[in-house]
Order: sequence, then C-alpha cells, then structure tokens
Amino acid sequence: MNELAEFNSLNPKQLEALDKAAGWSLNAAELAEVQRQFRKTDRQPTRGELETIAQTWSEHCKHKTFSGPVAYRDGPRTKKYKNLFKETIVKATKTLNRSWCLSVFKDNAGIVEFGKDGKWGLAFKAETHNHPCAVEPYGGAETGVGGVIRDILGVGLGAKPVLNTDTLCFGRLDRKYRLPKNALGPERVMRGVVEGVRDYGNRIGIPTAAGGIYFDDGYLLNPLVYVGCAGLIPVDKIKKSVVPGDLIVSIGGRTGRDGIHGATFSSANIEEETGSSAVQIGHAVNEKKALDVLMRARDLGLYNAVTDCGAGGFSSAIGELGSETGARVRLEKALLKDTRIEPWEIWVSESQERMILSVPKSKLKRLAALLGAENCEYCVLGEFPGDGRLLVTHGDALVVDVPMAFLHGGVPNLEKPAVKRSVKVSGKTPVAPKDFGKALEALLAHPNVCSRHSIITQYDHEVQGGTVGKPLQGRFGDGPGDAAVIWPQTATLDLKDYSGFAVGHGFAPAVGRLDPYQMALHSIDEAVRNLLAAGADVSRVAILDNFCAASPRDPEVMGDLVQAAEGCLDAALAYGAPFISGKDSFYNQSRDADGKEYPIPLSLLISATAPVEDVRRTVTINFKEAGNPVYLAGVSLRGMGGSVYNELADTGNNAVAGLDMKAAVKLYAALARAMKAGCVAAAHDVSQGGLAVTLAEMAFSGGLGAELDLSAAVREKGLTVTELLFGESPARLVLEVTKERETEFLKIVKGLPAAEIGYVKEEPELSAAEGGGQLFSACIEKLKTCWKKELI
Amino acid sequence: MKKPRAIILRGTATNCDIETFNSFKYVGAQPELVHINQLLAGEKKVLDYDLMAFPGGFSYGDDISAGKIYAVKMARLSKDFKKFIKGRRPVIGICNGFQILVKTGFLPENRANAQLSTLYTNDCGHFIAKWTRLKVNRRSPCIFTKGLPDEIELPIAHGEGKFIVEDREVLSAITAGDLHALTYAENPNGSMLDIAGICSRSGTCFGLMPHPERNFFSWQNPGRSGAVRGAEAAGFQFFKNAVDYVR
Repeated sequence: MNELAEFNSLNPKQLEALDKAAGWSLNAAELAEVQRQFRKTDRQPTRGELETIAQTWSEHCKHKTFSGPVAYRDGPRTKKYKNLFKETIVKATKTLNRSWCLSVFKDNAGIVEFGKDGKWGLAFKAETHNHPCAVEPYGGAETGVGGVIRDILGVGLGAKPVLNTDTLCFGRLDRKYRLPKNALGPERVMRGVVEGVRDYGNRIGIPTAAGGIYFDDGYLLNPLVYVGCAGLIPVDKIKKSVVPGDLIVSIGGRTGRDGIHGATFSSANIEEETGSSAVQIGHAVNEKKALDVLMRARDLGLYNAVTDCGAGGFSSAIGELGSETGARVRLEKALLKDTRIEPWEIWVSESQERMILSVPKSKLKRLAALLGAENCEYCVLGEFPGDGRLLVTHGDALVVDVPMAFLHGGVPNLEKPAVKRSVKVSGKTPVAPKDFGKALEALLAHPNVCSRHSIITQYDHEVQGGTVGKPLQGRFGDGPGDAAVIWPQTATLDLKDYSGFAVGHGFAPAVGRLDPYQMALHSIDEAVRNLLAAGADVSRVAILDNFCAASPRDPEVMGDLVQAAEGCLDAALAYGAPFISGKDSFYNQSRDADGKEYPIPLSLLISATAPVEDVRRTVTINFKEAGNPVYLAGVSLRGMGGSVYNELADTGNNAVAGLDMKAAVKLYAALARAMKAGCVAAAHDVSQGGLAVTLAEMAFSGGLGAELDLSAAVREKGLTVTELLFGESPARLVLEVTKERETEFLKIVKGLPAAEIGYVKEEPELSAAEGGGQLFSACIEKLKTCWKKELI
Repeated sequence: MKKPRAIILRGTATNCDIETFNSFKYVGAQPELVHINQLLAGEKKVLDYDLMAFPGGFSYGDDISAGKIYAVKMARLSKDFKKFIKGRRPVIGICNGFQILVKTGFLPENRANAQLSTLYTNDCGHFIAKWTRLKVNRRSPCIFTKGLPDEIELPIAHGEGKFIVEDREVLSAITAGDLHALTYAENPNGSMLDIAGICSRSGTCFGLMPHPERNFFSWQNPGRSGAVRGAEAAGFQFFKNAVDYVR
C-alpha cells in the first residue's frame, strides 16, 4: 500500500479509498482526525499504527453509536442526548446505586455479590457474534462462546465460569427464500451455530443451560448469536492493577492470520464479497488449559492483572491493560501458528484462546512451572514500562509508536439523527378462532413455541453437577424450564452451602416492531418473571442489555433504539434492577438477490440474574399433584400486538398491552414470599403463545391434566376470550398452589390480582371453560405431540 | 477412622474432576486432584492412594478417539495401575473415565490388558445429554452398585458411548459373570445388550457412561417436587460404597 507513505497529504477521497482497501471501516471524520494527529507529529503513520487506531476506534470496541450524541425527533419535539448509553442504561444503575453491585460497566463483565457470607462475586456477561456466524456459522458460534468465556476469565483477576447461555435468532426454516449469492440458508446457519455452541461448550466443560431460539424473516441474512457466561470470583480478586515493570505474558493459543479485522468487520453491513477469513478458528481445549492454569495461578497470586484477547487481539488487550503505564512490545517473541504473517497482523490478529497477564518478574518462574504442568503454551511479549508510551517493534522494525492517550481519547463522534417511526395500531375486537383447541395445537407447533429438546440435549447442560433448575424439567425431563438455577459447587467446593443463582431472559422483537418502548418494558418484565418462576429473589435482580440493530445511518433505526433505551431506564428503575454490563451490535442488515433490504428488527436481549437462597427450593414448571388448585396471577390485558397467535391468524388487532410496572413489582414480591413459604408447587410464566400454551406446558410436563374455568381470571374491561387465551400481555404467571397451604397463599396475595382458575387432575386432559361455556378440551398427549417437534 | 485417600486423575480437558472430588469428599474420603503429568514426572505415586477415579470430560479433546490419548499417556505407568487394580483397590471411570479404562484394556478385564471393546459414536451421530433410566444388575459383583434399587435414574452426556465388542465370547463372559452392572432401560446410543457400565470380576474396577455425581442429591433431578425432599440420591450410593469398601 503505497498510499501509506504519503498518508498525511491524501485528500478525503483518497482516504476513503484507502480505508476501503484496508478494511478499516473508519468514517471521513475519523480519517481526517487521524491525519490531523499525524500531521502534528511530522511523520507518516505506519500500517500498524493505522490498524491499531482502526481497531480501537471501531464500533465493536468503542460502541460509538450507542454512546454517541443523538438528536431524537418525535413529531414536533426534539430531545438531544450527549451520550445515549450514559443517559439511559448507566443512569439507571447510578440512580439505583445498589450496594451489592461490586463492579459495573468498567471491566470485562459486571459483578454482583453472591452467597451468604460475602466471600463471592458473580460475574455475568453477554455479547453477540452475529457477523461471523452469518459467514461461517460453526466457527463463528465456537469463537463467540470462547470469547465470552474469556471475558469471564478476564474479569478482575479471573472468575471461574459455571454457566453458558445462548440465545439464537434465525430466518424461518419453513419458508422459501430467494437467497443472494454466497448467503447461507437459515437451516444451514442454525445447524452450524448449534454445532459450534455444542462442540465448544461441551469440550470446555461449562454447562450450556439457558437461552432460547427465535425465528423471524428479519434474521434471514443476519442471524443473531447472543452468547453469555457467568462465573464466580472471590471478592478479594476483583481488583486488578498493572504495576510498572510487570511483564506482558500471553498464555493459551498461538497467533495466526485468522480473524484479521474482526472488530472493524462488525462495523459494516455484510456485503456479498465478505469473506470468512475475518472469522477466527476456535480450539476449546486450548482455552480449557488456560482456564485451568488461570484459576490456580490466581489463587497463588502469580499475576497483578489479566484481560482477554478479543476484538483487536494484542492491540486492544495490551492497549487496555497498559492504558496508564504504556507498553513495550516485541512482536518477534510471539508464538505463531503461521510464519507467513506481517508484524502488524500479529499485533491485530484475533486468534483465539489467548489471555494477557501482567506478571511481576519475580513470579514468572513459578507461573512458567504451572503452565508447563498443564501443557499450556506462553510467551513473554515485553513489559509495562510506566512511561505512558505504546512502543511496538518486530526485530528492528517499528510497528507502533504513539502515546496511549492518543488511542483512548479523541474519537470524533458526530450527532446521529433519530426519528420516531410511525406505526399503524388497531385496537379493534380481535377475530376469534373457530376452534380454540385447534388454535392451541397450532400455537404449540409454532417454531417460536415448540420444544427445543433436540437442540438442548446436544448441549451438556449438566456438567459441573450444579444445574438444579434445568432447561428440560418435569416428570419426563422434557418440559421447558423458565430459568436456569445454578448451584456453583465447583467454585465454592462446599456441598453444604446451598446458595445458588438463577439466570433468565426476556426477548420480544415482535413487540418492538410495534412499540420499541414497550418492548424494553416487556423484556425486562419477562426476564424478572422467569427468575421468579424458578424461585429466585427478585428484589435483587441484575440485568444485562444486548442491543442488536440494523444500520444506525437510518434515523428510524436510531429512533427505535432511543425509545427502547428509554424503556430500559424506566423499567430498570421500576424493578429496582440495575444494568451491570451490556453490549451492542449494529449494522445487522443485508440485501437479498433481488436487492431487497433485510434489516433485522430492533432486538433487545435482556439477560437477568438473581440469587437463589437455597437451591433445594427451586421451583419447576410441571404440575405435581392432582387436586392442587391452579392460580393465574396478574391482570390479563387487551391487545394481540406482537403475539404468536397474530402471526398464525391475523386477528385485526395489533395493540400492545401497556405494562403496569408498579403493580407487577408488588405482585412479584408477594409471590416470592408465597414461594419461600412453600405454598407453590409449580410456576410458569405466560409468554409466547399466551395463557393456553403455559397451561398446556405445565400439564404435559407433569403428565397431569387440569380442569379450568377462567371466569375468575382478573382482566381488563372488555377483554375477549381470544385475548385471554392467546394474548401475550405481560406480568402474568400460572401457579400450582399446594392444597394444604392454600389458605396461607391466599393471605399472602390478599388484595392482589391472583385468582383460582381450576385444579390439577389425574385424567390426562386439559379442559377450559368460561362461565359455563366449554372453550376447549384436549388430551395432553396430543398437545405434547404437537409441541415436541424436532427442530434439528 | 483414617479417611481413605482418593486420587482423582486429571489431564487436559478433564472437565468433571471438581464435582467428582466434591462427591468423594462428601462421603468421607480424602480426595486429591492429580494431573497425569504429575504422575509421569514422579511427583505423585498411584500406589499411595486407596481409591481411584477417572472423571468425565473431553481429555485431550477426544482427539483420535475418546480417552485414547490419556490411555497412551498412562502406558508408561501401567505397572502401577495394574498393581492398583489387581490389589482390588476400588477404581471408577465415569464417562470419559470409562472410555479411558476401555482404551487401556483394563475393562473388559483380561490378562494381557488388550483393548477388547470400544465406546463408539452414538447411533444418532452426535453428543446427547439427557436423563436415562437404568436397570441395576443385582447379581453383579460390582461394589459400587451395591444396595441400589432395581431401577435408578442418572444423566448421560456423551458423543461416544456405544459399547461394542468384536468377540462374542467377550460379551458372553460379561453376561456370564454379571459384569454388566448397569444397563439402559431405553438404549440411548446403540450399546450392545443395552450396556451402560461394566466391572471387573472382583467388582472393584468399574466403568460407566452415566454420571452418578450429577444425581448425587435429589435436587439435581429434573422431576423432583418443589419442596425439599430427602437429600441423597442414587449417585451418592456409588461413592459411599467405594469408601465403605475400603474401610
């Protein structure tokens, strides 16, 4: 690239051409800023320096869209944000100021207190690996899983991973699409991703026990792969600080040419010619070696700081650790898996399974012995000098020589326009199905409702022996659990400590198409409700936000984002649930063969965790005993907007139910007390498919029927039977109450919307009536057959 | 009483070592995690222990075939291992541990320690993790399954669990000696005679694909009721039996 030799004198057009050729995804203002900086130094930048800047300033690393200025227009009103992320997500956490939040937003994952004696922290993080999975599903999923595990290994001085989560979004498998050249069909993508998650998670020995799968046309060319990981860390190992003079030690995998430009790649829409060389190659066993060494070295105090090599590779990991001390790096010391590699490529390569440690010279020998005993490779790349300068060389060749301050400051950020999208909403009376029983069968078979067992059983969801709340539960081990409950015995090493934690999710892109603000509310509510259903302490919920969106250059996409972010702020405050970490992914948009744009709908995944005081009291979804009364808690609201039923049969009503958060919080607090008192034998949230689906799942998971009369169900005035059975209004749960404790239960929920709607019965039949009129009666085996489809 | 010393053997990507360690500790053993490299370097000696466990996992990535590389690494120490087993000190191999015992030729037991069987890729072609019902062979000499009811539940989690032998005589010897201590009620992987676990003639060396450490307590079972039930479950008995035997 000869243009480099005269970088400082290139005109904007030439800069743009250079950016495209190099694959940096920097915009005109950023390129001009780089040029301005180097003109000041009186020398031309090196390739390595430009690469470092491109990585550090990339969307992936800086999240410049979400944390940038936005002007949001809603009709005649305009609201200005200087930093959208800080003024919504971070604001919620700061306002709540919970004492049990030990580390938020600043490290590789958020950390909250865990357990009863204040000795442990729970680290939790979720991110996405969407672009890699679109071009190379298997490798993309593997390295996505590996990457988020390294975030947990690299938080504080390292946490022990005890749970993996995966929420996956694909195009519909049951539709015919005309795909553009080189694009992979949704089934191929799904199989690849599932196999990648399986092979990485199983090999490294971390249970994959929570998440979900969601199908929508919008994800045809841009699948979403949300990967999450939770781990335990001793509270005295949360603080890390590089000491000047420490050595820079890389452990784990070697460096190769795989994954060059992964970070900048995520800052652009996927085009036809996008190649898979930007995707890294995963090797779970190398990461397991690094994990085993790290946990031992951490407890022996052999290093002062650690972080993972993720996007941007050495350049961002070393840049991050050395942001105050500076760093002196000799790239010729790096262990390579490919000798045909340029020095700058070593510097930015995103080869997997590498962790960077800051090691006191006096401890290197002991660390090396430990690494040797575990067959884990390492190399000493240089040291952190303390002069604030980043100097990277390869033999005699200079790769980078800039002050750290230049990298971490000065990203120009332009204000993005955002506008509220207009949506036609109809609140008219929904058209009822001819046959409620048939409608229920169709809902159970819908791809967004049906069983995920064929995928879940490929994941080892029980390794480490701590998955108490399982993804598959009930009498036959195949009912759909609401939340994972983890008993981290492999971290605490104490089988008499019953402390655990639950992880649940909320995800409602279909609601978001109609009302992004309500989507955020519904998603946070659903995540909290899932935790509650498993018996977790919902007064102490911590949440993660993961936004995925189409191109932020579209003001309507930005408008959706603003509304959802405002929803996050309001809901977090109402539920008292601070955000502790989060991530966003933009540019999830592509064109098909006919040039039709496929932007994804705004997709907000809420991952939530809450403590479970005693895992032995975890609640499951299946009906347990004939004769027990069944209660519906929560108010059923009008509106079929965003429901699965509306997709099957257009009811003509697409209104979204507005969530009353205050009422929900009050109700949940009471239900949590009832659960703690042992009044609740089973609980399941009402979500996709609505109340009828919830009841069916509880029945067939327990092999028991139920006789129901919905007349008593608490409802909004004018609610139709269709809305009651198949509407998806939030803040509702179905509970099986223990007969002997019913009086106690009623005392606890007095004055709250919880109504008895029938009882569990031995006969395998689910019957529902309302005011004397039979709505449907179905054999639970038949319902289960409809539901238990093989997705894979 | 002195606690029996249990060696929990690990290597690269032995994943179930800590829960196995916890299980042995709970039943009164004094467990210790030992890397195969420590044995090879002479830092630790197999014969210093009373009990031995090969936990589950993906040792060395299941490269070549599950358990093979670990088995090869053990070869140099085979004299010690043989002595340990011959001396009837209890040995349990769970999942990947069973695969290792098969690849080393310790199971099915034979004088030459030749590999007589294998655990092959499941009939479905991929990894399966699910709960299975298992029949306990009450006539078996297996010391680990003593006192269990006729049928128990344990989860499986493996890609290569199909137990096959080439020589029919080997199979007849297994059935004749009731060495098949555990069989699947519904065969999940295509194993011959539904075999889930086999033991040596003395009953002290036992390998099985299901995970007893994952149904150690009743709350680990997916079908349990919401209320707290009696603590220990079927898996507990396997570990307890081993410790009782040594005592």
